[in-house]
Amino acid sequence: MAADVDRQLWESTNGSLSIEPVCSDRADSPAPGLVSGTEPGAGQETAMFAHTESFEDLTADTEGAGLEPQEREASLQEGRGEDEEEPREECAVIGRQQQEGGREGGVRDKDKDEDVTSDAWRAHRKHVFVLSEAGKPIYSRYGSEEALSSTMGVMMALVSFVQSGDNTIRSIQGDGYRVVFLRRSPLVLVGVSRGSQSAGQLLRELQYVYLGIVSLLSATQLQRVFAHRQSYDLRRLLSGSEHLTGSLLRLLERDPGPLLSAVACLPLPGPARDRVSACLRQARAPPLTFSLLLAGTRLVSLVRRRDLHLHHLDLHLLANMAASCSAFREAEGWTPVCLPKLNAAGFFHAHVSFPLPGTPLCLLLLSTEREAFFELSACKQRFLELLHKRNALLGLQEALSCPTYSVALVGVPELRHFVYKSRSSGLYTSPELEGPYSSDEEQERLMCLYQQLHSRLHHPTRPLSSIYHTTHTHNLYAKVTSGFELYLCFSALGTKAIAEAAVSKLLKWIRKEEDRLFILNPLTY
Amino acid sequence: MTAMRVDAKVVMLGKESVGKTSLVERYVHHRFLVGPYQNTIGAAFVAKPTHVGDKVITLGIWDTAGSERYEAMSRIYYRGARAAIVCYDLTDSSSFQRARFWVKELQNCEEHCKIYLCGTKTDLIEADRAARQVDYHDVQDFADEIGAQHFETSSKTGNNVDELFQKVAEDYNSSSFEVMPGEMSFIQKMKNLRLPHVALRLH
Ligand SMILES: Nc1nc2c(ncn2[C@@H]2O[C@H](COP(=O)(O)OP(=O)(O)OP(=O)(O)O)[C@@H](O)[C@H]2O)c(=O)[nH]1
Ligand SMILES: [Mg+2]
Repeated sequence: MAADVDRQLWESTNGSLSIEPVCSDRADSPAPGLVSGTEPGAGQETAMFAHTESFEDLTADTEGAGLEPQEREASLQEGRGEDEEEPREECAVIGRQQQEGGREGGVRDKDKDEDVTSDAWRAHRKHVFVLSEAGKPIYSRYGSEEALSSTMGVMMALVSFVQSGDNTIRSIQGDGYRVVFLRRSPLVLVGVSRGSQSAGQLLRELQYVYLGIVSLLSATQLQRVFAHRQSYDLRRLLSGSEHLTGSLLRLLERDPGPLLSAVACLPLPGPARDRVSACLRQARAPPLTFSLLLAGTRLVSLVRRRDLHLHHLDLHLLANMAASCSAFREAEGWTPVCLPKLNAAGFFHAHVSFPLPGTPLCLLLLSTEREAFFELSACKQRFLELLHKRNALLGLQEALSCPTYSVALVGVPELRHFVYKSRSSGLYTSPELEGPYSSDEEQERLMCLYQQLHSRLHHPTRPLSSIYHTTHTHNLYAKVTSGFELYLCFSALGTKAIAEAAVSKLLKWIRKEEDRLFILNPLTY
Repeated sequence: MTAMRVDAKVVMLGKESVGKTSLVERYVHHRFLVGPYQNTIGAAFVAKPTHVGDKVITLGIWDTAGSERYEAMSRIYYRGARAAIVCYDLTDSSSFQRARFWVKELQNCEEHCKIYLCGTKTDLIEADRAARQVDYHDVQDFADEIGAQHFETSSKTGNNVDELFQKVAEDYNSSSFEVMPGEMSFIQKMKNLRLPHVALRLH
């Protein structure tokens, strides 16, 4: 049902919707000349990531974490509870709660000090709440959890009420609001958005927040504490992680990576990247499972154990954790971290360092041995020495000083922005958001448009192979083949003919630049 | 780049947000970072050489996260430590309860580890005497009882910070003639890391 609402929204705002239906097995209908594995950006060897499909069924509980089979079935019936609830009522309830007391300990960021009865609190474009199945508050994006405890109680009551009728509440569509529920026993996550985001997108964000929590505690520990005591206050274990969740939500709103299930690379000429990767591999030590070099959320290099694949989602969680650790900048961090997609039951131990002061370059060395700190610290040291010795440093530093490129390089005047994903490698590339997109708000708007195109392309029952969409300010074109997935944003002057011509021009350009924009030679130890 | 050499392992313990990271930051980088507080994730390690007489002693400092989430990990940080700086916030009495917890833990598991009780944020007390929630003499009595050193510091002004770490280094220096079994294995481990045969095995 959520998807139906989506379609209505879409078609009502879209005068020139062009739909080219495609059979769901895309392998049978490859795009002209481009088959998976030969598209620009496809790696030379086996895939670097565990899973590179752009659409994951978020309703399927891939972690198997605690959903009863019957519950799973219920959640497949798309939110039968939806019509029974009055959405406006719900929103009013959220606004009416009283502040019930401050947080012990004092120092909190300003988001937490917000008065939850104020208009400003209500005006936030997106709220995210996490509660336990006992209705205890665990996390709120804005305002303190204590002040919101009765609101969360109401949310849990809603969830339980619908559940008691053997249904699962999935989403509520209100006047300018959308409320989405995600139940991941023992947690319940609730997203409230005022924007035009689809229920699917909100659900994806909640899924990330949930897995972000799992990355800190592991699913095993999460289950254990609640099995022991249902009324457990999980904030005790999550204290200090609020800023991680906050930055994860910001990442989700701005970065196309989570949407596309893909990872962006730092542009770096192929030979320079190969040199850096070779150093990283040579600096290895037996306990290592992954060596990652990141610049913010962009991947510079990844070396993995032959039998293990990192999942893009785990990588996004790792990048978010590393970026949020300014305390790590001068020292070397050593922290347990669960990679929920790889193994939700256990912990890896991550050595985190920022080896080139003054740059965002972050080295993550992952091991399963909790005592391996000094061994990995020695790896870091060796890696740096190798970079020096093999003159790999200069190229890397140059790349770090210009981590993006301009869309003008493509040579299509009407083209403002694009996102291109190579499906076989799970990597994507995208130019800098410049001009009209330099503000956060415009960036989020553009992301929202891409999200809408994405959910149309990957519609669970009626997928499309391409779509052209016009608004007052933009012309958008999206296309998916067995090899790639492409989203283009043109100025209002664009036309469908320009868009189609731009695709082949862009593909040629990406092919020419692919060794700089992608990792073509991923290494294993 | 010089390879890291560590003489004495020092661990920072204490409740969240009492100022462990700020203390290390002040000592190692002589600065105090203002802006939103960032909890430590897991732990962070930094090596800092310091002069004791004509000798150079390198302290290997483990700045641990105060969050209970990492409590199960804490043993690997304090095992073999020569010194533990157990921090509490002078303006938060509950943080002293947590300090007592760490003292008990160390007494049970790490008998060779010297304990330094450190009350943080004296600048806040100087600005407003009423802000003090942990009495100096109570802590001094407790320190005497457990054979610990006692400091009060401010990372904001730098007050007493160098003195604290200098004392840790001096105490290590004067006791380093005694052989401590747990400690030997730690040092040995550090040294092993730089032996050539280990490096060879890796390639
Ligand atoms: N006024 C004042 N504030 C301080 C002082 N030391 C730390 N703070 C503040 O206290 C807060 C917490 O400091 P941190 O050093 O990050 O605390 P921590 O003990 O490392 O916390 P965790 O990593 O979560 O365990 C920050 O906002 C600091 O600015 C101090 O000496 N004076
Ligand atoms: Mg800290």
